[in-house]
Amino acid sequence: MTILKDAPPPADAASADVAARAPRPRFPVDKVAGLGVIGAMIVFGLHALSSLDFSWSSIRGSIDNATTTFSRMDPISFPAFGDLVYLIGMTVGIVVLGTLLAALLSIPVAWCMAVDTSPAPWLRWLGRTISVVTRAVPDVVLAMAFAMAFALGSPIPGILALGIHSVGMISKLFADAIEQSDDGPRRAVRAAGGSRAQEFWSATFPQVLPAWIATVLHRFDINLRVSAILGYAGVGGLGYAMRIAFQQFPEGYGRGLGIAIVIFVLCVVLEVVSSTIRRHLLGTDPAGRGIGGRIVRAATRDRSREASVHESAITEPARAVTVDQMLKRPWTTTRVRNVTWGWGAVALVGASWWWADVDFSQIHWEYVLPMVQSFWPPSFGSYDFAVFAQAMLVTIQVAFAAALLSLVLSLIFGALAARNVAPSPGVRNFFRVTLVVFRGVPELVLAIFLIMITGLGNQAGVVALAFGGIGLLGKLIADSFEEVPRGVERAVTTTGATRNQRFFASTWPVGFRALVSNSLYLVDTNIRAATILGIVGGGGIGFYLTQASTVMSLHGQVTTLVAMVVVTVLVVEGVSTWLRRVFR
Amino acid sequence: MNSTTTSPVISVSKVTKRFSQTRALHDVSLTVNPGEVVVLLGLSGSGKSTLLRHLNGLERPTEGTVEVLGQTVPELGQKELRALRCRVAMIFQQFELVPSLTVLENVLTGALGRLRGPRLGLWSYPRALRLDALAKLDRVGLLEKAYQRADELSGGQQQRVAIARALMQNPHVLLADEPVASLDPESSAQVMRLIREIAAADGLTVVCSLHQVDIALGWADRVIGLRSGEVVLDTRNEHLSKTQVMEIYRGLDPADVADLAALDSELAGVQLVGTAGPGSVVA
Ligand SMILES: Nc1ncnc2c1ncn2[C@@H]1O[C@H](COP(=O)(O)OP(=O)(O)OP(=O)(O)O)[C@@H](O)[C@H]1O
Ligand SMILES: [Mg+2]
Repeated sequence: MTILKDAPPPADAASADVAARAPRPRFPVDKVAGLGVIGAMIVFGLHALSSLDFSWSSIRGSIDNATTTFSRMDPISFPAFGDLVYLIGMTVGIVVLGTLLAALLSIPVAWCMAVDTSPAPWLRWLGRTISVVTRAVPDVVLAMAFAMAFALGSPIPGILALGIHSVGMISKLFADAIEQSDDGPRRAVRAAGGSRAQEFWSATFPQVLPAWIATVLHRFDINLRVSAILGYAGVGGLGYAMRIAFQQFPEGYGRGLGIAIVIFVLCVVLEVVSSTIRRHLLGTDPAGRGIGGRIVRAATRDRSREASVHESAITEPARAVTVDQMLKRPWTTTRVRNVTWGWGAVALVGASWWWADVDFSQIHWEYVLPMVQSFWPPSFGSYDFAVFAQAMLVTIQVAFAAALLSLVLSLIFGALAARNVAPSPGVRNFFRVTLVVFRGVPELVLAIFLIMITGLGNQAGVVALAFGGIGLLGKLIADSFEEVPRGVERAVTTTGATRNQRFFASTWPVGFRALVSNSLYLVDTNIRAATILGIVGGGGIGFYLTQASTVMSLHGQVTTLVAMVVVTVLVVEGVSTWLRRVFR
Repeated sequence: MNSTTTSPVISVSKVTKRFSQTRALHDVSLTVNPGEVVVLLGLSGSGKSTLLRHLNGLERPTEGTVEVLGQTVPELGQKELRALRCRVAMIFQQFELVPSLTVLENVLTGALGRLRGPRLGLWSYPRALRLDALAKLDRVGLLEKAYQRADELSGGQQQRVAIARALMQNPHVLLADEPVASLDPESSAQVMRLIREIAAADGLTVVCSLHQVDIALGWADRVIGLRSGEVVLDTRNEHLSKTQVMEIYRGLDPADVADLAALDSELAGVQLVGTAGPGSVVA
């Protein structure tokens, strides 16, 4: 009786209520404002594109430049095989060690940041600050600044730079994962008398381990792409070799281009490898035991086979086992595989250490403290705020222009790569593969290349960033379209709608919010990348940053410029958070 | 209550607990003697979990005080509180095992309170503890499952692992917050029997919250009824029958029919289907 009386009316009442009251007062205020902000950003992007002079004459000029360059340069050539192996080993070694360093550093930072594990509010703020600042300081700038305290060609500045800069992203995603993890096991450990540290390592960490590894692998890909730029800060490896080659015109260009191709192939191959591992990882949860075994088991596990292993484990020991017998862990196939892969991972790190040629005697200890101190206080040097603000604006323009180009193109690419939008599976697969290749492109290497051959700075940078952005945004768009619930689409189809009608009636509205936040994510990464463009010949804030970071007495400017980047990135993040809430 | 002359293991006196708006407990006083098996009964939101969480210091009373094993819980510092929690084990409705760890590792986390520093992986625990954990698993009949992932076990098995984890603390007191609310009747019976056997063998004092009047009556030495954060019933089990419990519930606040209907639907879901009890109470 209570059910009859109570349950159905609320449903009706609620929907009537919602339709009548709730949306109307809200709609004009924040949705319209949100659309206004989005519109303003698009206008800004268009304006940036036009102000960057993509006119026909400048394009023809750059094509002329490119043809001249190509006609005068040597044919593409590659380093000797032995040298190539050495260079690849060094680059991969530096990236492995730098990413590993960041992965380890990000654990305490994330622990401080996450609401569920943070011991005190001030530690949350400290964690967030570290995360935001490390994300905003470009790794190349760090490498250049560190290089002063090291012997020339030492890999340590590169490792440290990657290690510190990557902490920002890894710790943020890791903290998110911690906040999404189940609080129950933590409570159980607390109730058993466990300390905070024990709560984390026994209850939280095993839950978030897959997310952590996936994030670290993702970061490894990004760092590999960035590592080419580290050559411009004097860090050895493929990037350095490429830079040396490109310094000699025209005879070095063939060699430089060859190395660029090697970097490109390396990036695409490792992108495919790591995304395969990530997919396995997020599809399944890795099981316990030692860390190494877990990492790789997680990376390689096959769910169905795993299940059958356990099946037999359940049925087999029908014979009574004693406690002493069980102390020895049985060598199941799973365990053998785990241990093998675990030691494989350890071996990889060891090999990286050796390849990267880490040598602590290369540190000039007497320069370390002055180097650190030189960043304070912040200063404008011989410039003033207006100059830096103008440069910042140029960087923001490059970021928005590239993001807008990426957005338009990746809407097409992404839609065609989505199962529920593509006209046929063949089309979908073709565009999926295209996106993987785009994603593998190291956009900064592309930028270097374009700047070299066209002689243009920011325009070439925009094109390069836009290219890389398609790979990322296209995939995110395709994924968000595929996540649209099928029921909604079927409902629209049953009304007799065409494919296009269905897309605009059901897929688009549902995917819109993801589109907004993904595009802003792209703007955010573009700002960081555009900052670096100055180092390879573009303009904007990166130009001043590069200038200042190579001279110790100018380090105060580095602090000022980095603070400006931090503020910009924070504003973009704030707008993104707000828009996500508005278009919920 | 006066069955023994020894001092009580748990004594709660005049505890009131307020969360910003709600009053979860109101002037609750009770004592539990060594070896007693007590069930807390009450409707959803009556404060059972909150009361249990006061007993191991997961909550602090707004007023009043709680003494467990001779310690005044709200006054304890972090270190003493951890030491107390080592001797007061707890099991939960949702088991709260770490799904991606092996069963054995989960059991071993019960020993963390005695260990210094964080542990990760089986080999970070001393061999003696691993042996002990296996013995505890043997006790709950799951020795063979030691190296399986916790989330590959059935709900009843997972709760038995949680019991093994609690035993790992070598506790004096066992707190159980609706340990069988997520289990089917058969697993429920098995888990409750296991807790009872272990309590008898180890001389544990048990405080267990339940929804099922039937299980409570067949299982407890003593039943404490809570309603809206107040103790409305505290009687030794032999003096009670199910209808009496229900009568007392109803007698205390005859106006509140909705509560009884809610209780009834909860009861109907579990073990009482087909028995005369609930029908006669609410019909
Ligand atoms: N952390 C908290 N913050 C605010 N209110 C709380 C909190 N914990 C419990 N309460 C409130 O205290 C009251 C008692 O809750 P409690 O969880 O103890 O009930 P319960 O008897 O265990 O119920 P159930 O049978 O549903 O588990 C409820 O009204 C609940 O909303
Ligand atoms: Mg409860």
